[in-house]
Amino acid sequence: MSRKKKRRSLPYKDVELNIMPFIDIFSMLNTFLLFSAVFLSVGVLDVQVPFLSNQPPPDDPKDSRVFQVFVDVTKEQVEIQTSYTRAPEQLQKFPFPNNADGIKLMHQKLAEIRKQNAATDKATVTSDDEVTWESLAAVLDGVMLRVEGDPIFPPAKDAKNKERAELDAKIYLYPKIVMGSVMFK
Amino acid sequence: MASVGGGSKDTLSLNLNPMLDIFSILITFLLMSFSSDPVSHDVDAGIELPQSTTIVALDEIPSIIVTKTEVRVNDVKVADIVAGDVPEKDRSQGAVYPVFTELKKLAEANKRLAKTVKADDPTAKGSTGALTMEMDKGHRFKLMKRIMIAAQQAEFVQFKLMVQKELN
Repeated sequence: MSRKKKRRSLPYKDVELNIMPFIDIFSMLNTFLLFSAVFLSVGVLDVQVPFLSNQPPPDDPKDSRVFQVFVDVTKEQVEIQTSYTRAPEQLQKFPFPNNADGIKLMHQKLAEIRKQNAATDKATVTSDDEVTWESLAAVLDGVMLRVEGDPIFPPAKDAKNKERAELDAKIYLYPKIVMGSVMFK
Repeated sequence: MASVGGGSKDTLSLNLNPMLDIFSILITFLLMSFSSDPVSHDVDAGIELPQSTTIVALDEIPSIIVTKTEVRVNDVKVADIVAGDVPEKDRSQGAVYPVFTELKKLAEANKRLAKTVKADDPTAKGSTGALTMEMDKGHRFKLMKRIMIAAQQAEFVQFKLMVQKELN
């Protein structure tokens, strides 16, 4: 059975949407966001300076032979030095130019060194007086921070805050950076 | 021609669509750049920070600000910077002496506070905490070292060096 629907044409009405409340909300939101907007995102690089103490480290046996990593920064070059605290010291030096490409290569070498010595999570950075903070920050970036493709190393077993240490392991290649050249005369 | 004055019966309708478009785009941009960092700090106008890929956000207002021309501790000017270094009169054994004196006070206050927080533990030693430093990227390490030595003598060993996060 077919039915024929009668289509009645509705009378045309000129409907106007009141967008004034909408504009009011937008204006308020805009003002609030403009006031609270941060156009420069600021971060921090955590470093420490050597602290002289007459107390021995709590768990450092006197006969331990520890692997250590140094990064020496000058205006022209960045040099990685690795050695052991006791003989045979096995001192090795890896120089790189102090520019963007050199710092990338330095980072790759440090990742390789960390893979071979995962327990050493501290790097000592020494810098020449004439090196600018901009240049030093670029080197610290290369030493400290993991980049995509770097392995995640397990956090130190003696870490006080386990959650923090696990989070740090995801961010850092070398979580502990000591500014070695900051010494009292 | 439409006029707003009396006399004419023409209605004037304002086309608000372009304005709404602009508002929408602006709000989208502002919502995207809305910061959820724990601390919102405006970098001093005289300071350019070095760039970094760090994802660690600033969590406290900087205690030491080193602009191109002066050193400030807790927003109080303590030393001038002339030709990229502090004047001879403000130096002592490689450190910036006025910075040391100000930081010593800060360290004592931080220690007292830390002891109060750990009041139930009589063996607990007060900690000075970390020091956040905002420094212009053009300064040499020589100046940074002088300030760090001053801080070291005031028993601050942890530093948070402020950098500008690189946008990915």
